[in-house]
Amino acid sequence: MSENFENELRRALRPLDAPAGFTERLMAALPEKREIAPVATPVPRPRRVAQRFGVPAAFAAALVVSMLLGQHVAEVHRERTEQQAGLAASRELMEALKVTSQKLDLAYQAAKAPPPPVEEENRT
Amino acid sequence: MKVHIALCAIALACGGPAFGQLKGQLDIPQFATLAKKASESVAVSLDSKLLGLGCSFLSTDDPEQADVKKLCTSLSGIYVRSYTFDQDFAYPQSDVEGIRRQLSAPGWSRIVEAKSNKEGTNVDVFVLLDDDKAMGLGIIASEPREFTIVNIVGNIDLEQLHSLEGKFGVPNLGIEVPKKAPPPAPPPKKSR
Amino acid sequence: MADGLLVRARAGDAGAFAELVRAHQGSVFSIGYRMLNRRDAAEDLAQDVFLQLYRKLETIESAEHLGFWLRRVAANLAIDWLRRVPYAATLPLEDGAEVAAPQREDDLLLTRELDRLLGELSAPARAVMLLRYQEDLDVAEVGAALDMPVNTVKSHIKRSLTQLRSRMIGARLVDCEELP
Repeated sequence: MSENFENELRRALRPLDAPAGFTERLMAALPEKREIAPVATPVPRPRRVAQRFGVPAAFAAALVVSMLLGQHVAEVHRERTEQQAGLAASRELMEALKVTSQKLDLAYQAAKAPPPPVEEENRT
Repeated sequence: MKVHIALCAIALACGGPAFGQLKGQLDIPQFATLAKKASESVAVSLDSKLLGLGCSFLSTDDPEQADVKKLCTSLSGIYVRSYTFDQDFAYPQSDVEGIRRQLSAPGWSRIVEAKSNKEGTNVDVFVLLDDDKAMGLGIIASEPREFTIVNIVGNIDLEQLHSLEGKFGVPNLGIEVPKKAPPPAPPPKKSR
Repeated sequence: MADGLLVRARAGDAGAFAELVRAHQGSVFSIGYRMLNRRDAAEDLAQDVFLQLYRKLETIESAEHLGFWLRRVAANLAIDWLRRVPYAATLPLEDGAEVAAPQREDDLLLTRELDRLLGELSAPARAVMLLRYQEDLDVAEVGAALDMPVNTVKSHIKRSLTQLRSRMIGARLVDCEELP
């Protein structure tokens, strides 16, 4: 098939503009704000505890918050890694089944085709 | 082109499955040399753990993914190697024969043999039977520019596999699970 | 930048999500319009697709995956709709959508005729042609998007090109060349 025709087809099938205001209508139709997992913020230790150890309260609170945030970030990272692995595995699964079905299709096509004609024996 | 539905039972050269391999699992080599020569390749190795993980990420909203999810809950592994080449028969037949030898082991039955001399394709479908249950599926597809091995391990419900027909393009092959012949009746006791 | 928009959209940034929509709305709407041949149905379809995206943002891994995902969902949704609702009668292009880029008069004629002739293809064949020639996916990507074996995709393309071309030669919209 001529490449020229395929190029003409591509030119003729350039994407169309969506109707004016499409995005605005869509955004208005979206459900309320997407829920995001909240970051846990701990209650800072009482001043007298921090003072007993000679550590300023603000520093102590910042230290605790950063440790907890670090744990949360690690947890999110672990979940994200697991999610990526799971998505990759599910894609591989679908790919494997696609290949399986293609080969079964090949067997089916071969099964559908008529057998070759039997040659008559040459009788002399 | 001809199709044979045949039952084959040939003794294994070696003993049972290799250590770590499940019943119905083939020993599929890495085919590193083939992969280098191929213009395209697909290599999927999903053992039971990865299969479970992949299954859990399939969506039940999507009807096709939901069907696949049902099918794969009873499976223990899916292994696919598929190589496409730029030239005809660029892969050695010894690679094909190596897998065929494994599928000649006791328990494996060839249920579809499809050959096309005109197109040079050869597709064989094997099933490993255990008490009338299909515990393994093996497909070898040898085409001029493509070589594919598929091995599915586990309790394969062929009815569920049938249910995939029409989706992913799986055709209705009319595959029937061959039944084992009943054991011979004991000889009658002779009366004195 | 698109990956950054994706990350922000996942985090709940409505503006970022709107930018993603604007970047892809033309393609998604075009698939809907050329599949269903109705402007209102195409807009409904496009809205459905983006609403699904909004719910499933976490499953989108990258900007590239997003493009593929949108085209896959739009094409399959259109095929499902066509199973339930018959293809609408052809509407004159004046009542239809505007092409994004300015066209010459003969291009406009070609586009109109192609739109009409595409409607004569089966829904799966039409989807294959749109994903291949409008969205420029390769054969394997089209197969993956429509869960269709590659050989089937190639058959659809070959038959559809032959059909389109012979009809258009008949309408004298392309040069006569020897058909394969």
